[in-house]
Amino acid sequence: MSMIPVLVQREFSSRVKGTAYIVTTIIGVLVFVALSFLPPIMQRISSSLAPGAIELVVYEQPGEESIVPYLEQVGAEREGFIVHPAGTFDESEAYRKVLDEGLSGLLLVDGPLYTFVTTDASNMMLNDEIQIVLNQAVSRWNAVRLGLSADDVASLFGRVDFRVREVSPLGEDGEEIDSAAQGQAMILAYFLLFMIYMALVMYGNMVATGVAEEKSSRIMEVMVSTVKPLDLMLGKIIGVGSLGLLQFFIWIGTGLVMNTLGNSGVFDSLLGASAALSSIPLETVLWFGLYFVLGYFLYASVFAAAGALVARVEEVSQVVTIIMMIIMVGFFAAYISFLNPNSGLARVASLVPFTSPMVMFSRIVLGSPSLLEVMASVVILVASVLLGAWISAKIYRIGILMYGKRLSLRQVVMLMRD
Amino acid sequence: MSIVATEITKRFRDVTAVDGLSFTVQEGALFGFLGPNGAGKTTTMRVVLGIIKADEGQVTWKGEPFHRLGRGFFGYLPEERGLYPKMRVAEHLSFLGRINGLDKHKARREAERWIERFNIGDLSRKRIEELSKGNQQKVQTIGTMLHDPELLILDEPFSGLDPVNTALLKEVLMESHKRGKTIIFSSHRMDQVEEICEDIVLINRGRMILHGNLRQIKKSMGRQILRVSLEGDVDFWAKIPGLDLLASRADYQEFRLGDGVDPNDVLRAAMRAGQVVRFELVEPSLDQIFVEKVGATA
Repeated sequence: MSMIPVLVQREFSSRVKGTAYIVTTIIGVLVFVALSFLPPIMQRISSSLAPGAIELVVYEQPGEESIVPYLEQVGAEREGFIVHPAGTFDESEAYRKVLDEGLSGLLLVDGPLYTFVTTDASNMMLNDEIQIVLNQAVSRWNAVRLGLSADDVASLFGRVDFRVREVSPLGEDGEEIDSAAQGQAMILAYFLLFMIYMALVMYGNMVATGVAEEKSSRIMEVMVSTVKPLDLMLGKIIGVGSLGLLQFFIWIGTGLVMNTLGNSGVFDSLLGASAALSSIPLETVLWFGLYFVLGYFLYASVFAAAGALVARVEEVSQVVTIIMMIIMVGFFAAYISFLNPNSGLARVASLVPFTSPMVMFSRIVLGSPSLLEVMASVVILVASVLLGAWISAKIYRIGILMYGKRLSLRQVVMLMRD
Repeated sequence: MSIVATEITKRFRDVTAVDGLSFTVQEGALFGFLGPNGAGKTTTMRVVLGIIKADEGQVTWKGEPFHRLGRGFFGYLPEERGLYPKMRVAEHLSFLGRINGLDKHKARREAERWIERFNIGDLSRKRIEELSKGNQQKVQTIGTMLHDPELLILDEPFSGLDPVNTALLKEVLMESHKRGKTIIFSSHRMDQVEEICEDIVLINRGRMILHGNLRQIKKSMGRQILRVSLEGDVDFWAKIPGLDLLASRADYQEFRLGDGVDPNDVLRAAMRAGQVVRFELVEPSLDQIFVEKVGATA
């Protein structure tokens, strides 16, 4: 009978009550609660940054053709943009009006030169807004001066109707891509990608440290006399992994609860339209689960082997650095793949076992890889998990009874050959 | 014969830790596995238990290789003690019971029983890391016996225990022995082994030096040790050739009789030197055998 369930249970129950585990779980819950409050907060922040209503006094050189009608035309299409012609005022009187009435500023028009005089010159958003409006106004003005009709002007400056339609390689009729949905898928993919990344780093380190602790507390010798090293390693990996899953369920559950509360109207005013956690398609969840589990097993067995190589717990961070760097490469490869999920880089990285959990998962969420690619990636990954576990178990077996000093990779290879 | 080790050799790169070692252990024996530090005791134990593989040779129990024996067949107390520091005593013991094949309930029951037996009931809810070294060792020793194994292998089981606990552990081991369990002690403390064990193997530098029944080994060494206590000239022995002073204690002097020295001649010389209080021919202690044999191979 395999002892893995007993080992998993020990690993799980001895850690689940630990302060470290409880604290990280609570922090995670707080982060998720904060995240669901984030969109309305962000909205408030950005609206507080927006320049708000702009009231502009326009002073023009007498005798020139006035830009004011065009400014009013463009301003009318935006919210709260009011233009006051300086009229009969001279420059200093116009400026006084700005100060007295607390307006946004004074626009001096002198041929091709436009100067914006304001008390709030460092407000970039205000400056940008005025520049945009002014540019459009001048363009329209020029169009009229070139003798274009009103219809011409309208068609010249009208918004282009732009849509994206993807044709699948299987020859089915392409579906029109809703750019809002695409944006949401992107956010979702980023979010889940980050979860995979965090899980690999957090739980991988937990595995490596756990193995090193067992070594340094010398419990290992009792354990290996009774339990097969492979079982011991799998017990640790599955035990820590189930702790991770529990934590993720709690966190995602928190997110869902917050989301439901938001939708049911209790927190409606506070939450607004928050991250679309409840709208995650089941398919995505399943893919996430598959790549999460496979990726975790692959990396955790490498972490376990690394933990078996060190003599003291303090040395763990030295040996896991290289593994963390590989995870980071995967993360960045996935990040780059977001921009173009079908690029050569993304295709290759979604097949390489150490990057595929992150890259292929991202590609699936963004909806582009062919079935063949996905299958190839899963098969390669599963094969790598088995091979990785086998090699790691060998290293583990050698490492766990070596005390005293850290083993170099060369020594390990030589010992494995013996 | 229950344990038969044949020509075990284990090399660690350029060091040969165990070198063609053969020995047998009878079923139900109290067996002493002796040797100085670094002799290869721990390595041999690991090979016997299948923790590491021998380069050559094999170990069997009644003809079966060890790895075919069922779970919970043996209990092992390694020299390097170790437990999970964060686990609680009772919890840890039932865990050890379970990985040795007991079911959940039986493991818990046995853990409680042994905790009572070793008088650590007040510690059962404590974490291992909160315990003293001696108590940790008690817990670990219980962990090796909890599942009532056929074979117990204990590496220096008494080191770190106070006299009360040493006596308690001896009592427990004697009980197991009476129930027919095989017990192997690995130790460099000869006095303890001498007190308990019937059969021994003595190794040094990975090679066997002595093997067999302790009585017979002692007998074969001959009654060459002489203890004399006398009131008078204690330097009387200096004139007798072939007599070596081994130890000069407050209560007696100890000599080794060389070849051809007649104990009666020594007695006569002693009587001339003063009042003889004690004159005794004894078997060499295991300590002396050890020093002599190990010294000869060193």
